[in-house]
Amino acid sequence: MITKDFLLEIGSEELPSAPLDAASAELPKLLGAALDEAGLAHGEIRVVSSPRRLAALVSDTACATEASTQVFRGPKVAQAFDADGNPTKAALGFCRGKGVDVGALEVVEFKGEKHVAVTLREPAKQASELLGPLSEGVIAKLSWPRSMRWGSTTERYCRPVRWIVCLFGDDVVDVRFANIASGRATWGHRVLAPGEHEVPNPSAYLEVLEHAFVLDHDARAERIRAGISELEGELGLKVDTPASTFAEVVNLCEWPTVLAGHFDERFLEVPQEIICEAMLKHQRCFPAFNADGSLSRTFILVSNGDPAHSDAIVEGNERVVRARLDDAAFFFAEDLKVSMEDWLEDLAQVTFQEKLGTLRQKVARMEELAGEVARLAGEDDVTIERAKRAAHLSKADLVSQAVVEFTSQQGVMGGHYARAAGEDEVVAEAVAEHYRPRYAGDELPGSVVGSAVAISDKLDTICGMFAIGEPPTGSKDPFAQRRGAIGVIRLLERMPSASLRALIDTALGLYQAQGLEFDRAEVARAVADFFSGRLQTMAREEGAQPDAVAAIAHTGVVDPAEFLARVRALEAARAEAAELMDDLAQAFLRATHLADPSLGTDVEREALEGAELSLYEATEAAERDVDAALADNRFADALAALAALRGPIDRFFEDVLVMDEDPRARTRRLVLLNRFAAPFAGVADFAALAKTS
Amino acid sequence: MNDERNAMVKAQAPTFQEMIFALQRYWAAQGCAVMQPVDTEVGAGTFHTATTLRSLGPKPWAACYAQPCRRPTDGRYGENPNRLQHYYQFQVLMKPSPVNAQELYLGSLAEIGLDATAHDVRFVEDDWESPTLGAWGLGWEVWIDGMEVTQFTYFQQVGGIECAPVPVEITYGLERLAMYAQDVDSCFDVVWCRDPEGRELTYGEVFHENEREFSTYNFEVADVAALRQHFDDYELQCQACLDRKLPLVAYDCALKCSHAFNLLDARGALSQTERMNYILRVRSVAKAACVAWMEASDTKAEVA
Repeated sequence: MITKDFLLEIGSEELPSAPLDAASAELPKLLGAALDEAGLAHGEIRVVSSPRRLAALVSDTACATEASTQVFRGPKVAQAFDADGNPTKAALGFCRGKGVDVGALEVVEFKGEKHVAVTLREPAKQASELLGPLSEGVIAKLSWPRSMRWGSTTERYCRPVRWIVCLFGDDVVDVRFANIASGRATWGHRVLAPGEHEVPNPSAYLEVLEHAFVLDHDARAERIRAGISELEGELGLKVDTPASTFAEVVNLCEWPTVLAGHFDERFLEVPQEIICEAMLKHQRCFPAFNADGSLSRTFILVSNGDPAHSDAIVEGNERVVRARLDDAAFFFAEDLKVSMEDWLEDLAQVTFQEKLGTLRQKVARMEELAGEVARLAGEDDVTIERAKRAAHLSKADLVSQAVVEFTSQQGVMGGHYARAAGEDEVVAEAVAEHYRPRYAGDELPGSVVGSAVAISDKLDTICGMFAIGEPPTGSKDPFAQRRGAIGVIRLLERMPSASLRALIDTALGLYQAQGLEFDRAEVARAVADFFSGRLQTMAREEGAQPDAVAAIAHTGVVDPAEFLARVRALEAARAEAAELMDDLAQAFLRATHLADPSLGTDVEREALEGAELSLYEATEAAERDVDAALADNRFADALAALAALRGPIDRFFEDVLVMDEDPRARTRRLVLLNRFAAPFAGVADFAALAKTS
Repeated sequence: MNDERNAMVKAQAPTFQEMIFALQRYWAAQGCAVMQPVDTEVGAGTFHTATTLRSLGPKPWAACYAQPCRRPTDGRYGENPNRLQHYYQFQVLMKPSPVNAQELYLGSLAEIGLDATAHDVRFVEDDWESPTLGAWGLGWEVWIDGMEVTQFTYFQQVGGIECAPVPVEITYGLERLAMYAQDVDSCFDVVWCRDPEGRELTYGEVFHENEREFSTYNFEVADVAALRQHFDDYELQCQACLDRKLPLVAYDCALKCSHAFNLLDARGALSQTERMNYILRVRSVAKAACVAWMEASDTKAEVA
């Protein structure tokens, strides 16, 4: 097979970073599928990308498809021709479908029957003819989060397409998109090698790019990393390069030069969180830290400019950073002049939610709720008071100038202001951390006080939204109730004695006290169900079996630590003694199917005999043991106590006819089965386990 | 940088008014009609009829102009060196967008003392949306050595109407560019012009007092009840003009509504829901005016 390399480069105006990375992953899939569909064998597909281009290099692409011959079987001969030997409608339709005359029909034998058939020969197709239309299809199929039109054309792409290079070996493949015709000219770096650069063939592509001062994605990332580590060594610093900013920086240049800039010593008095945010989010620069972990006055920037002008570029960036930090320092200094109590009063003007009132009201509720969390967690009065105090101060920074400007530092700044105002360190830290966890895998607050405030914040929002009938829906969750619930769950896991149902009730009571009208019991149930749903999802994500999760959920337990411990215990018991647990579940199901709950559980003990009596005694013992085990949260023991019922129940079903003709005996046995099922209810829904096994 | 070089940079850099002259000449040479600012308060150059209305419809259009903008909430009483409630944008609109729009833009920088080859110029993703105009587009903010100096947007929709052909809008932040070119740290130190003897007039001499007074008015004095009334009145006027098929006047009324809303916002008079409602009301009058303007130009096209 004769092969050549293939190149498709889509040149455009600067593509945004995240969509560019996504398209870089999509392009080889689309192109590979298109080549396969066209029947063109090909080697490896390599993606090359920069802000102004998305390209694919395909090695060893077949110059032509394989020729093929295929026989298509039609109707039986008997049905293809009438008595006079004329073709029937069926035969004519078959010919039309295959695009041949009746004369082309042959006869083949299939399962002992003669059928008409046609043989179609598909000649080999030239890759040079297939690659153009195929490439046009791929360009149009790339999926962008947002696409656009430009000029007078109607085609869509992420940003305007400006050139297309399409080469098969040494030859240009004709590709047209949005009034652009392909050629062999790519465009170089805007400043270092502006204008067109001819690509003689695909294998020369990367070299031409490098001469035009354009590096592929990975080469840029590598060069930036190397540049940073060189500067780290030179300056004795450690540079912080968070993945999201780093990914963006790589896609904001074609020819990176890593440079170090500095800002004035005096800015180090500004909380470093704002400096880092200004660097990373606003300037796409990286902050650098001294060996002792403190922030240095050096920052790292990656330039796409002419290295000959690096001094001026650093100087320019320093000016911009200075202006930003000046702003930040000004805001911080101004903020320090205001007391947090004044801000708290300003919160009375800020709406939390139309129906739920102002942020000032939210803070008042949080104080009570945070205190209750600490109390239920068994903390002493000092800690309870600290939780209330931290909740009181938690939202004050939202109206500070620094947070209005650097929104993501909410809480963190409040911590600084609380500390500056002489608040207890635990309180200040709790204010700083109370938004945590902010995303999956985020750290939790370090202290009980911080956790109490964090729980009160999230739970207050969830309960309020449910109270006004606005729980999260599939498409709408503007107050991040789902994330909040996961946060509450993770926090309460560490405080097993704080009952979630009690806290929900307290939170709802605070809304009622504020004058909000709703059915407290019903909303409490809905909130608990919502938490149960999140818990079930989390347990399944931990790897628990869905039926085990459902079995525990049916008990109505919503306290996170207990819920998850029960699921784990049940999973462990099933893993250890699968047959026993399965058998027990089947027996339970059989018992509950037969049982008639209206008969109650008062067993007529004196009348029992044989297998009845031993089941009754075993049940009594199990009741005792389960109660004791549950009281101590020993779920494995509770399951073991139930497991002890397996022998007696099996024997009971073997020896005794439940539906006896004697109504007294029947009733006695049904009541006994009711009694047997009772201890299960508090442990897990065994019916749910039986259904799937 | 030593003081001597500093002084040299300042002397060589264009003054504020020279930058406007240079940009006007440059874009005029690219075929843009040099317009004057719209004489109603607007929050951005985009609101000028030469951009909003002319973005619509099939007819080619190219214009440029300096536009004074008012954003009451951005006022800082003249105390912040980077923030103003009244400032200038230089606006370019070309429909259909030319293939070399970016190159033309980079060429314009050299005209105002910023040679793109000697700086690090980046096009950083920034999708633009104006909820009050029912408009959106994709493009970038342009950075020079890390400083955002220009918005560069391909309009996709204006007034809720698809733009076809697509215009490109280039909006220069004149104060920032001047600060950068003249190497000063406060916009009030920007040199507005020099007389033949070399005496300088600064931006501060022209506008510092204006910032103080208007910030005071916007934040403290503006009468909330009167502003609400103005809004309602102009909304009604807009409707009346739409009924009489006077889309240009209707659009002017929509701008008045928008400014009244901005002042109410600066006064902190609006709750979140109310704020959203006002935005929707501005959008609906602005959209209606755009639709009416399109209908009127369609009719004219048919007559011609």
